[in-house]
Amino acid sequence: MLYLAGRLATTLALAWAVATIVFLTLHLVPGDPAELLLSTGGVSPDPAAVAELRAKLGLDRPLHEQYVAFFKGVLGGDLGRSLVDDHPVASEIALRLPRTLELVGAATLLALLIGVPAGVYAAVHRGGRFDRIMSGVMALLLSVPVFVLGTLLILLFAQTLRWMPAGGFVPFARSPGQHLVLLAMPAVAIAKGLIAIVFRMTRASVLDTLTRDHVRTARAKGLPAFTVLRRHVVRNAFAPVLTVLGLHMGALLGGTVLVEYVFNWPGLSTPLIRAVEARDYPMVVGIVLTVSCLFLLLNLIVDLLYAVLDPRVRST
Amino acid sequence: MADHARTRHAMSRRQAIAGGGTAALLAAAGLVPGAGAQARTPLLRYGLSAWPPNLQPWVSVGASAGTVKMLIHSRLVAFDQNGKMRGELAESFGRDADGGWTFKLVANAVFHNGEPVTSADVKHTIEQVAGEKSTAYMRAQFQSIARVETPDARTVRMVTKEPVATLPSWFCNYNLPIVWKGSPADAPVGCGAYKVDAQERGTSIELVAFDKYFRADLPRIERIRFVVYVDENLRFAALQSGDMDMIEYVPWQSMAAVEKDPKLKLAEQFGPFMDILFNATKGPLSDARVRRAIAHAVKREDIVKAAFFGRGKILEGVPIVEGTPYWDAELSRGWRYDPAESKRLLAAAGVPNGFSAVMLATAQFGMHKDTAEIVQQYLAAIGIQCELKLPDWSTRVRLGTTGQYEIAIHGVSADTNDPDGLTTVMDTSLSPTHGRSFGLAAPRTTDLLAKGRAEFDETKRIAIYKDMQRAALEEVPLVGLAWRSQGYGMKRNVEGFANLPGALSLSSGFMLAETRLG
Repeated sequence: MLYLAGRLATTLALAWAVATIVFLTLHLVPGDPAELLLSTGGVSPDPAAVAELRAKLGLDRPLHEQYVAFFKGVLGGDLGRSLVDDHPVASEIALRLPRTLELVGAATLLALLIGVPAGVYAAVHRGGRFDRIMSGVMALLLSVPVFVLGTLLILLFAQTLRWMPAGGFVPFARSPGQHLVLLAMPAVAIAKGLIAIVFRMTRASVLDTLTRDHVRTARAKGLPAFTVLRRHVVRNAFAPVLTVLGLHMGALLGGTVLVEYVFNWPGLSTPLIRAVEARDYPMVVGIVLTVSCLFLLLNLIVDLLYAVLDPRVRST
Repeated sequence: MADHARTRHAMSRRQAIAGGGTAALLAAAGLVPGAGAQARTPLLRYGLSAWPPNLQPWVSVGASAGTVKMLIHSRLVAFDQNGKMRGELAESFGRDADGGWTFKLVANAVFHNGEPVTSADVKHTIEQVAGEKSTAYMRAQFQSIARVETPDARTVRMVTKEPVATLPSWFCNYNLPIVWKGSPADAPVGCGAYKVDAQERGTSIELVAFDKYFRADLPRIERIRFVVYVDENLRFAALQSGDMDMIEYVPWQSMAAVEKDPKLKLAEQFGPFMDILFNATKGPLSDARVRRAIAHAVKREDIVKAAFFGRGKILEGVPIVEGTPYWDAELSRGWRYDPAESKRLLAAAGVPNGFSAVMLATAQFGMHKDTAEIVQQYLAAIGIQCELKLPDWSTRVRLGTTGQYEIAIHGVSADTNDPDGLTTVMDTSLSPTHGRSFGLAAPRTTDLLAKGRAEFDETKRIAIYKDMQRAALEEVPLVGLAWRSQGYGMKRNVEGFANLPGALSLSSGFMLAETRLG
């Protein structure tokens, strides 16, 4: 119980530290939200109007007052409102976060569906044509930047063949088919790196498992090759793949920034970028705080699971 | 009432009948609102280049927001497709013998809540824009209105503190729609051709036609769905793949592809321009000869080629729109490329070997960065070594407003094609902003801008503004570099849309009410 309380306290302290650093950093960077808003399009705003807007938004108050006000709100469950249009930050996050998670989820699913069977097949036929070709393809996938692949997909499937829409979003409830069509290209673009990683990890892990004693014993017992592979090789080889997958899913969250931009997918990245550009302080801090808390929560769960599995961890 | 009678008789030759007759005719046709609905196209899909930060009627938040605002609101005056002023809510307008401006409203205009549009609503709008707590774009101009009279429900008379010949053009600005006087502060009620039906923040806005719009023949499309495509290449791809019927801000590098595509067409105008600004409080830039040396040092053709893929036009003078009576062929080349003249001017100013300076631009917009790099090269050729500072746009704005630079690259559009529309970028007596030179005095230019604003005789105005150009060529409050093309791409079956000429290009959005799919 004491361990759990300690881990929770550490997580909360880290969340507060992240939010404070983001809040202060953003305020230290040059840029005035009121001036920026009224200068949209390069026009020259009336300085009196800028001053008036600054006062309306509370930006003329000392920084420490703004800081205290923000954290009072956070503690009360209120992430504040956008400086640009007075939209509640929490509702924006609630709308956008599931879409980013959907993109990450779809990419992970694709990585598993392609990477695992291909990795197993390549390992079983090590050194064969498939193994050599796939190893080359995966190296290519890892080295191609995500925005290059995204742009190529649009050029080929949207602009040249005109099979797919260039980008955008339709809610699943409105049109499930259109939703999935629009999800396809961004999911492929973001999954490409993870497919390669899962493939390589699966291949290496299966190759390692194939040399184990229990596999040799299973073969010696006369079990069919496919049964040996399914029951004794893949199942045992899958644990390290899952570990790597879990680690990289976090990285995928960061990777969505470019993909969401290239495919106009309205996830959490777009409002974050726009908020940084507009110096929309509450929106930036709210989004970063939410994403950080997600990471911290995942870490906490992993730590707790470790503690459950290994009692020695609890005593350290 | 007596006032009104006098006004009506006094409105004479200076009455800007411009479009008044047309508006009256349309108003008459509008006695049966909604009659045009039968012929409406069901839906137009339009690719916006940016999400409108908000749709507050009087606050300037960019041209994309302006496009939507012009459709959900109406202004007193608008421009026709040739850039001529015509009445919108005003069926006629003009200046009376006593120097006041009178606007006569159409009879059948109603707000989206069903309330009639009256002179009281116009007065309310003016008072809100000019208010002490106002954050409106036109706040400073409207504070020069001394009083607003409403002799009857359809007549508004304005008297300015000083004579203003360009007052009607203020009401053409998309940041100046007429709003119902009873509107809550956070929910302004407009009387435009469309109403907002649905929107998702940052993604899309859907408008639906307003059945009681006062022009019965408009709008011609039942719904307009605006989808935001921030990435210009994806915006173009969305047009080419058929996802969108029309897009704004066609990227320069894709304009040729739009023209070549048999399914698409391009509506192109030279509207916004790139320019050089100066901080005259630092170094030798306080000397107009040094600024003139810089003006003569840059070969603009390279900017047009490199920054705009050839989709621009060189600008070697004050940014006066060609085709207007204020444009002059000789004056328009007043800062022609002449490095020998640049060196002579530098020597005369006491810096024959040049100097070092910080050049501010932004890396966030490619055309700003590319322009800055070319200008840097040409200035180096005459001995001025510039250190490029290319922060994000937010930082660029702040550094510009506070004068933390010596030379800056900027891109902007005038408010209108009238030279008075250049006041916001050339009047150095105004408070510092990122879009004007810092600490620079150009008194003759400023005086002539004011003189032109107060002059009602067109012939005299032309002469004044030519003098203003001569003064600016000497005082150099800014240096024009290049006009840039502003393009709308659309499917071939999009009809009725016109890209307005010159600086009005960014105000073309209201033409969507007259657009249909063939």
